[in-house]
Amino acid sequence: MDKMEGSFAVEDMQNVQINIGAIVKEVEEWDQPMGPFPYPSIATLRDWDFKIMNRYKVFYSPICDRCTLCTYGPCDLTGDKRGACGIDQAAQQGRIVLIAVLMGCTAHAAHGRHLYHWCLDKFGDLPFKMGDEILVDAPLTRTIAGIKPKTLKDFGPVMSYVEEQVSQLLACTHTGQEGNFADFESKALHAGMLDSLGKEVSDLIQIVAYDMPRGDEDAPLVECGMGTLDKNKAILITYGHNLAGSAEAMFYTEDNNLWDKVDIGGVCCTAIDNTRICEGIGHPDKEFNDKYRMVGAKAKIAGAIGWWRKMVRGDCMDCIMVDEQCVWTDAIVDAEKYKVPLIATNEKIMLGLPDRTNDPVDEIVDDLVNFRMPGVVVLDPVKAGEVGVKTAIAVKPKRAEIREADPFLSEEDFKKYAESCTYCHSCQFVCPPHIKIGDVVRAAAEGNYEPLSTTYEICVGCRRCEQVCPQDIPILSLYAYANRDYIRNQKFKMRAGRGPVKDTEIRRVGAPLVLGTIPGVIAIIGCGNYPNGTKECYDIAREFVDRGFIVAATGCMAMDMSLYTDEEGKTIWEQFPGGFDGRNICNIGSCVSNAHLHGAGIKVATIFAGRNERANYDDIADYILSKVGACGVAWGAYSQKAASIATGFNRLGVPAVVQSHSVMYRRAFLGRTDKREDWEIIDARDGSKVYCEPAPEHMLYVAESVEECMLMMAKLCFRPSDNNSGRMIKLTHYCDISMKYFGCMPPDWHIYVRHASDLPLKWKEDMMKELESKYGWEIDWKRKAILSGPIRKSDVSFDPTNIERKIRVKK
Amino acid sequence: MAVDTTKNPVPFEMAQIPGPEMAKAYNTAVIGAILKKAKRPLLVVGAELFEDPVMFDKAIEIGKTGVPIAATAHSIKGFVDRGYTENVHMIGLHPLTNYLRFKDWQGLDGKGQYDVVIFMGIFYKFASAMFSALKNFNRDIKRVSIDRYYHVNADMTFGNLAFNPDQYHEAVDEVIAKLKA
Repeated sequence: MDKMEGSFAVEDMQNVQINIGAIVKEVEEWDQPMGPFPYPSIATLRDWDFKIMNRYKVFYSPICDRCTLCTYGPCDLTGDKRGACGIDQAAQQGRIVLIAVLMGCTAHAAHGRHLYHWCLDKFGDLPFKMGDEILVDAPLTRTIAGIKPKTLKDFGPVMSYVEEQVSQLLACTHTGQEGNFADFESKALHAGMLDSLGKEVSDLIQIVAYDMPRGDEDAPLVECGMGTLDKNKAILITYGHNLAGSAEAMFYTEDNNLWDKVDIGGVCCTAIDNTRICEGIGHPDKEFNDKYRMVGAKAKIAGAIGWWRKMVRGDCMDCIMVDEQCVWTDAIVDAEKYKVPLIATNEKIMLGLPDRTNDPVDEIVDDLVNFRMPGVVVLDPVKAGEVGVKTAIAVKPKRAEIREADPFLSEEDFKKYAESCTYCHSCQFVCPPHIKIGDVVRAAAEGNYEPLSTTYEICVGCRRCEQVCPQDIPILSLYAYANRDYIRNQKFKMRAGRGPVKDTEIRRVGAPLVLGTIPGVIAIIGCGNYPNGTKECYDIAREFVDRGFIVAATGCMAMDMSLYTDEEGKTIWEQFPGGFDGRNICNIGSCVSNAHLHGAGIKVATIFAGRNERANYDDIADYILSKVGACGVAWGAYSQKAASIATGFNRLGVPAVVQSHSVMYRRAFLGRTDKREDWEIIDARDGSKVYCEPAPEHMLYVAESVEECMLMMAKLCFRPSDNNSGRMIKLTHYCDISMKYFGCMPPDWHIYVRHASDLPLKWKEDMMKELESKYGWEIDWKRKAILSGPIRKSDVSFDPTNIERKIRVKK
Repeated sequence: MAVDTTKNPVPFEMAQIPGPEMAKAYNTAVIGAILKKAKRPLLVVGAELFEDPVMFDKAIEIGKTGVPIAATAHSIKGFVDRGYTENVHMIGLHPLTNYLRFKDWQGLDGKGQYDVVIFMGIFYKFASAMFSALKNFNRDIKRVSIDRYYHVNADMTFGNLAFNPDQYHEAVDEVIAKLKA
């Protein structure tokens, strides 16, 4: 990106930018001067990355001790050994982490690139407008690229930048390139940042092109769950993340008045995005707006990724359209077995199927409906949508006939399979959440279906058990049979994705967030590989929304938390309002929408604190790390996208907690509280160094149980900038969660106390006694004041930073 | 007759095959002797103890022999409920392992790094990965599992006893007896 690196703004000539070697043009009406790092390359933000890693030690837990990537291998890297190329274990782990983060980053960015081309083709170059309440309208694009897009086409150079950086980063993983773990991690952090940018571009393009909600806290409640799919109609399932084909199926259904004949249900993030279509402030194309207004509310959320194979076995579909990302790669095997025609609509997933893009629709439909082929590729979204709807409607009666003659699983089959279990435990050996499948099947053989019901939501649907069963018991089918009533009745409400956080909301919560009186933002993010079932999604969300945190969800966790209700039968979306505020829960949208959570952090820095975000990434990240109490959680994290999402959050100064399977990511960032020097922070007022409490203590943390997850999330919302009232509130939640789930106070509560007014009121007296007796602090009991002991004194004017250039006056 | 804990040394999750260096399954007498000989042992227990609560009592028995206990996840609650918190420390498994890999860490009691860590009652995949971290980045610490699983990244482990709780309990009792002897 030579041209971009050579860009500069001319003093006193606002809106003019000169690109060396390129054209001179007006940039935009934006009064912010260009920051120091427009379009940063690999090494540009390395200093910031090393600051993060000096405090949060890179921790590796290798899953494989070997390297098998070149012909010198396999090389054993265990312990101190090095490979033939010279690489050591730490660097090899960093290399694998970088590759994983790049996989995630490219999945999001390529999604954005596809949407960019498709939306420009379909809608033309639309003006980029996010409405009157969102003026900081593309925060990551502004912060990273230093540009303010005016139309969709302006995102083209941003995508090109991401693609070039990805290419450079991937090159670094070749044998004989990078050899140091910290530099691999700096590159992974760079890829994580690019991932956040790619997500933002993807979502902003679809928000504008498909007129999705722009920060609507009252986005409609949509139907969610397998039971919402009307079996009296044909059921078309659209599965993946890219709505292009799925949206066309909806438009075709609307144009032809077919909603009484077909139900369109989404799986994974396509589900969320379907329900956002045309629910925004109004499409600029009047005809399109008139025609499709609120069409999104007609689509249904069939379910999150973890439910996919359960839906197949539960006979919840007549036709499948797959697009991209998180589609189980054996979808076509299931589709063929259960006679559900499959249409692949995106080049990224073609499954060995014939490309019928150029064939007439009716010919394709005829072949699918008569099962001449199990599936087809149709890369034109418009044609794919029509094929999907027509096939679903036409194949439904044929499938019904087949099922009548040969049901999925009869009562007799069920008994026969259950009784054939030899209790060998092969299934339990491979079950990720350790379900005692042998016991469950044995109980079923004895006529007790309850264990099959109670473990249904815990099963992640991986099908490993079936593959190792020496008796070939179709265990997922036993689950589906025993839970057929549950499947029928799985009917809930979920709030449609609302899109970005509004500037007005940030103005409202900015001060309480930075001071700590809103104790934090809890960002709940996607995926379905839960260690102990979907219920924990709801439990986490409910715990924090009840405590007054701002809770924001995206992706599959948003769907999974919708499957539970309170005593009044209300889902969490019906219990709480959908704003970005304390005691609210907002569904931001799909996976790519979680860029708006990065965006919310950036907006606190720019709208509340008046920081210039333009090409000023490290400054903004430093502000967020020091002052914005926020913590991400990916309790069902499974994919490389989750790795890139978390890494992107980390570079922006936001810590994340993940579940115990996430050790597969191999790397964490963990603080050492015993190392005083790691926690020195600069006071920007005069450059003095202040030894701070570890806030936040870790950057990427694996929790073993949901209880530990919740405690850690509360703890990772501490920030050095908390005022006394804010610290007291945060400490109250931290201690209260510990008392609730651990039965005792956390052992480190005292290190977060700077002043007596930081102490939670309900334990204040006891805590002061303990500070004196156990930790030797000096207490003035008359004034109820702490005289000595804390790591640092409370100072309302303290302006913490980790960046030297932020020092205002040097001491 | 002693339980044969050397049988069935297959990774609990079959695909957990890390590389050339894999754990050996030992009998209870050898493991007990290693623990007894340790100068700075640390018993690390996790939330799986709640699924088999008698294991809390066994952990407490080990604690009473002078072996400090790191209670990971929310397992501290099991000790609080039983009124035993004497040498039990509440800490997450992830930060604990992070500390363990640094030779300069002074331990939960400030008296120095540990020489033997013993895992019990921890979610298999997590425990395996933490053993791997120590296997690769601090080889001065001996890694011992007295869990019901064969732990491939440990130095010393039982074979799989996951489907025979009685035998597993007996095996742990034998280790405790050796420790007390």
